Amino acid sequence: MEAYIVAMLVFAGFYALMALGLNVIWGLAGMVNLGLVGFFAVGAYASALLTTKLLWPMPLGWAAGAAIAAVAGGIMALIVARLRGDYLAIVTLGFAEVIRLVASNEIWLTNGTDGISGIPGPWRGDVSPQQFNLIFLALVWCAVGIAFLLLSRASHSPFGRVLRAVREDEDVAAVAGKPVLWFKLRAFALGAAVVGFAGALYAHYNAYIAPDGFAPLLTIYIVLALTAGGVGAMRGAVVGALFVVLLLESTRFLAQEIPGVTPVQKAALRESIIALSLILLLRFRPQGLIPERTRTHSRPGATP
Amino acid sequence: MTKFRIGRRAALRRAAGALYATSAAGAVSSFAIGGKAFSQGAPIVFGALPPLTGAGGPYGPAMLRAIQAVVEEANAAGGIRGRQIRVVAEDDQTNPDAGVRGARKLIDVDRVSAMMGTWASSVTTAVAPLCWENRVPLFTVSGADSITLLPHQGFIFRTQPNSKLQIETGADFLLRQGARRIFHLAAQSPFAQSSQDVLVAKFRAAGGEVVGYTVYEREKTAFRSEVDAIMRARADTVFLNGYLPDVTILLRELFRAGFDGRRFAPAYAINQNLLNSLPHEVTNGAMTWQPSPDVDSGAFKRLERLFGNTAVDPYSAQTNDHAALAILAAAAAGDAGGVAIRDNVRRISQGDGEKVDNVTDGLRALAAGRAINYEGSSGPVEFDERGDIRGTKFRYERAAGGRFELVELR
Repeated sequence: MEAYIVAMLVFAGFYALMALGLNVIWGLAGMVNLGLVGFFAVGAYASALLTTKLLWPMPLGWAAGAAIAAVAGGIMALIVARLRGDYLAIVTLGFAEVIRLVASNEIWLTNGTDGISGIPGPWRGDVSPQQFNLIFLALVWCAVGIAFLLLSRASHSPFGRVLRAVREDEDVAAVAGKPVLWFKLRAFALGAAVVGFAGALYAHYNAYIAPDGFAPLLTIYIVLALTAGGVGAMRGAVVGALFVVLLLESTRFLAQEIPGVTPVQKAALRESIIALSLILLLRFRPQGLIPERTRTHSRPGATP
Repeated sequence: MTKFRIGRRAALRRAAGALYATSAAGAVSSFAIGGKAFSQGAPIVFGALPPLTGAGGPYGPAMLRAIQAVVEEANAAGGIRGRQIRVVAEDDQTNPDAGVRGARKLIDVDRVSAMMGTWASSVTTAVAPLCWENRVPLFTVSGADSITLLPHQGFIFRTQPNSKLQIETGADFLLRQGARRIFHLAAQSPFAQSSQDVLVAKFRAAGGEVVGYTVYEREKTAFRSEVDAIMRARADTVFLNGYLPDVTILLRELFRAGFDGRRFAPAYAINQNLLNSLPHEVTNGAMTWQPSPDVDSGAFKRLERLFGNTAVDPYSAQTNDHAALAILAAAAAGDAGGVAIRDNVRRISQGDGEKVDNVTDGLRALAAGRAINYEGSSGPVEFDERGDIRGTKFRYERAAGGRFELVELR
């Protein structure tokens, strides 16, 4: 049981990192990004290829995964510079599909739909599987901690305030003299870097990646994590990711305890419970478990 | 130490719960089985990881049913040296990420001694490292060649012939049918390029040639240029190496273009649903092939009786054998650990032992100290040193008037 809980906490860590990344792009800058899994895949493939084919050391691979995802994010921001709302969502969704199709067709590079197996992990093979899990648990949650601290700081810095202004009204921000595109680009690159880093870690934890693993399902989980946790709040992203993993996993045991339920019904029941809880959450707590709190200053002259 | 005992007690409690839940055969009998489990030590747990939702959803439930049926039979026959067996199933959602989480739960919480029934190649490849690291054998129906090439230390057993073997037998069949100029049209998949290499070698050796090779994206909805290329190449045979949705469109467009050569596709791409959805003149003469369960075997007939009105698909025939192999290997070893099962699968599935086609006879023979050779519903189930299956039969069919007729079974 302990090993299982540790493994699920590792997964929660990946989800939390992705939710943090998405929170910069969507929560702060207000750009709907449904192409999340694309950046995740870019990070994962970059690090997996560099460490298996060019035999780079793992930390360099992870850094490269984040950097390449950031570049992809920056380019993406330029492409979608004039798009907002639904149109932006569609283009980003398309981006993730393009990445997945490139990964399944450029066989010379990515090994196609067979995927890349045998990706090294820190001390994998030298330590027991459980120790490896614990190493990764520490690694992932350190990364979550660092990302959380840096992004929270950024969120309350002038940079974060401008992003919020862009989110609320782009034109007003522009009129106030803020270079909107430049801020959007940096937000996109920063968020994508965090997501790409999560992807890089994920590849080395699972030891195997394939285009199938980067289906839109994962994006949906992360969007749900962020919505559940509270869009805009960094703490909400982490709490939301934990909540989604808890929901995904606890339903296994819940559905198992109901007498007379066959495994097939259990599988269907699990999906219904997950869907229903999220509908209920959005109906009764649309602001999320931890709503965004911004430090508003009192209006000049309002207080005596 | 105390912690460990609590874990076991919880496992026992869940055992009782799961027996309630999984046994389709009446509450009374399952209760009796539960009682036995308590009296004779902790049950042996097998993990099933079939696709119950997602793209594999149409196959998973039957695959699971076949596993459960074998386990119920073994339990009725006294279990493995008096210990009862329990199946815990998780849904892999036909997704590697979900599959890994499901496998984690089976390995770490349920402490399964064998894992069986993974379907999608990507799920199997993702789950495989967990299995060999935790010393749990994995029985799978996935076809990608790369799976048994993983450094799996003998922990993977594959009952599905790998795609290379499938293409080789398909090419031999076409050559027997008189094909010489073949056009290979493949959906992007792990098998596209390896299929092409096999086809070229086979046709060249027989004095024929592969006159064209095109890989397409499987979500495509129009194939005008591909069909034109086929017509231009004056192929006498086209190999539609794709999936159901795209092959449906391709058959229609080939008919419109007036293609009159052989059309050949895997049985999962041209199935009865496709024949029902297209006019007969479009589908007549289209040929399919698939690895066939051993339909004349005792094991297959038992499975058919159990399934009643539903036809037994090749995957269920294979998972039936997954469960039987794991049970008999554990019984032969006298140990239900993963390593013991791995080391004994070949001992009970090949060699000169007494031939058995079900777990009841197998357990009895093993208890009497006799060697056995299990012959399953999917075939003779003999594995080579990489864990790949040997000696599977193939079934070739032709569409005629909206139905399939058997051309060959060999």
